[in-house]
Amino acid sequence: MKSMLKKGLLAAALMASTAPAAMAQECADADRVPITWSTIAGFYTDAMAELVSGFEAGHCVKVNVVNIDNSQLYNKQVIEMVGQTGAYDVVTLETSEKAEFAENGFILPMTEYFADKKAQLDDVAPTLAALTTQYKDDVWGLPYYTYTAGYIYRADLFDDPTEKEAFKKRFNYDLAVPTTWAQHRDIAEFFTRKAGETLKGEKLTKDFYGVGLMAGPFPEIQDEMSGVLWSQGADWLTDEGKVPVDAVEKAMNDYLELVKYAPPAALTVTYDGVMNQMKDGQIAQTYSFFLDQWPNAVQTETSVAGAKMGVAEAPEKKAYIGGFLLAVSASSAHPKEAMDFVAHIGGHDAQMEFAKAGGTSTLMSVLSDPAFAAPESRGKTGHFSTLLEIFDSMKGFRSNLFDTPFGAKIYNTMQIPLQSAAAGQISARQAAERLAVEVEKICGGPCPIGK
Amino acid sequence: MSQSLSVPASQERGAASPTAMSDRWFSILLIVPAMLVILVFALLPLAYALDVSFRFADLTRGRIGDFVGLDNYRAVLHDRAFWSSVGVTLKFTLTAVTLEMVLGIAIAFLIHGATAGKGIIRSLMILPLATSAAVTGLFWRYLYDTQFGLINHFLGLVGLPEPNWLGDYTIALWSVILFDVWQWTPFVALIALAGLQALPKEPFEAAELDGASTFRVLRTLTFPMLKPVLFLVLVLRTIDSVRLYDAVAVLTRGGPGTVTETMTFYLYRTGLKLFRMDYASTMAIFFLYAMLVASLFALRPLLTQFSSRASEG
Repeated sequence: MKSMLKKGLLAAALMASTAPAAMAQECADADRVPITWSTIAGFYTDAMAELVSGFEAGHCVKVNVVNIDNSQLYNKQVIEMVGQTGAYDVVTLETSEKAEFAENGFILPMTEYFADKKAQLDDVAPTLAALTTQYKDDVWGLPYYTYTAGYIYRADLFDDPTEKEAFKKRFNYDLAVPTTWAQHRDIAEFFTRKAGETLKGEKLTKDFYGVGLMAGPFPEIQDEMSGVLWSQGADWLTDEGKVPVDAVEKAMNDYLELVKYAPPAALTVTYDGVMNQMKDGQIAQTYSFFLDQWPNAVQTETSVAGAKMGVAEAPEKKAYIGGFLLAVSASSAHPKEAMDFVAHIGGHDAQMEFAKAGGTSTLMSVLSDPAFAAPESRGKTGHFSTLLEIFDSMKGFRSNLFDTPFGAKIYNTMQIPLQSAAAGQISARQAAERLAVEVEKICGGPCPIGK
Repeated sequence: MSQSLSVPASQERGAASPTAMSDRWFSILLIVPAMLVILVFALLPLAYALDVSFRFADLTRGRIGDFVGLDNYRAVLHDRAFWSSVGVTLKFTLTAVTLEMVLGIAIAFLIHGATAGKGIIRSLMILPLATSAAVTGLFWRYLYDTQFGLINHFLGLVGLPEPNWLGDYTIALWSVILFDVWQWTPFVALIALAGLQALPKEPFEAAELDGASTFRVLRTLTFPMLKPVLFLVLVLRTIDSVRLYDAVAVLTRGGPGTVTETMTFYLYRTGLKLFRMDYASTMAIFFLYAMLVASLFALRPLLTQFSSRASEG
């Protein structure tokens, strides 16, 4: 009986493994169902091409990948959705865009599709799933890539005996990865030095800064500030759908304290600029930075002599949780194939391949795979264990910003008052008040929150 | 007694071919294609925008909605960001166009007086014009970069302060103006140079014989004769500057905050980031109205001059 069962399982496994190949052989190019995926240019596009090939090998589908610049992806997708053009079958959404697309009927719920694939759905990191896939009791797709934020720092500076001693003498506690905003600010201040001063006992040839910030005219400024705001127990929107002005003002003031210790270019850059500063040996740490950039950050070890990079949870264990959600357009002519594609890209096998290529997976089974914790994988996946810690620390977290159908518009607007304050043009209070006015204008009153 | 053999032209044509088209209809036929293009690509969208400006139209909340009267006009007129963008646009236009005109005319005089290398200089001056602002803007963004930019590198070498060109709210708009001046001064210079080269020589030779000073020649001969050309360039540059979008989009994205947010950039943000087509259309109508009024005032002297010349001719 046991051997029969074994044989049966073996046959089933054999059939399962050969079925895609057989299907690919049976399927002529002319018979392939065309689907189009709009995605972000530059985010592991090559790796994605491999994953797409893997899907095409097992399905009689031809996937056209349309790469769009990150700054234009939202507008382009909305225009196609409003026009119901069917130009895109699968769309890529930022966390704040999900509610808008779901509420307005731009994307199809996938709750029924996943009804018999619960294991796959449960494999998505629960914290991430809550924020990216769920809205009003439905599942709207799968996240295939996470850019959840954490703390990236120059571990060699933190380990240096001279620096440790000087820090202890000045602040009366040990130099270590900060767990509070106050410690983080102290570290930023401590490492900010002028050319001619010393760092690790060596004379600096150019100015050195305590922290790298993304305070340029991009939405990333609010991603950075989210951690500060959320750790106060506040949110960008109250449950009544209004901006909590006092809390935003306090978070803004905390942020402004950090701007003093950031390179002047902080006011013009986004994540790539901060990475350039890190690799150029200009900054000591960046506190709420997209951890998918770890493979990039770790290159500092080769570009800066003696550098050793470290990664940890953000201070107060609160940081921006984000992921690119793959969802199926309501105007897709081939929704079944599009859903199969979403399930494939967000599935275990594709995510394993993605992780091997340096992508940051969204699945617990991949993030916790021992192979990725091995020292030889550190350059690509050294941040996975930290991601697991972050997801654990932020378990059950929800933000009203991601649960209002106006989230995308708010997200695209809030950078303006926040950056004005960061640049010194207006005060933190004015920024918070302007944000409140703008948000009220966008929502036409208090914003609806649809949990 | 003589009898004229001449026949009125219309009768002649009629006699030659009774079925031939009249001049009037022939000329109408000639302009029909151009009018169709204008109708489809300008007038119909304009009429549609006018219609949308009286309706509720949040694209992400469905299609064009109900008639709301003048609500959108009231909202735009009370919108602080709109007036701020108008202010930025005016400041940019006045400064950039003035600098471009002054520098362009000066350069034209220098080239006009040059004895060699005019061809090479003219070719080099076309380069900034031949590339789109989106491409050159990207190039300038790297030049302006606080840490890795060439401008600050050289300023640092000579011990001068290294400004945060695009991040400092007190100078960001000036950085955009500088870029625009770099790109469009050659245009002014080339047109002014063409105007200078087309001036008749005789009045200048006479002035020289009379011993007129250079300043007097410039004041009484050169500038009055160049005036129509310079005025046309001024109008063209002003219209183009008021529409500024691409340089802002590439260099600053309207920031820091809204310091460099021009009317067209704000319109883009309202229409294609917030998808409020009602507000965006209303702003576009305001924008068009302002441009029409300004153009009428600006072009009136020029048109009067042209028509008087035509009647003299």
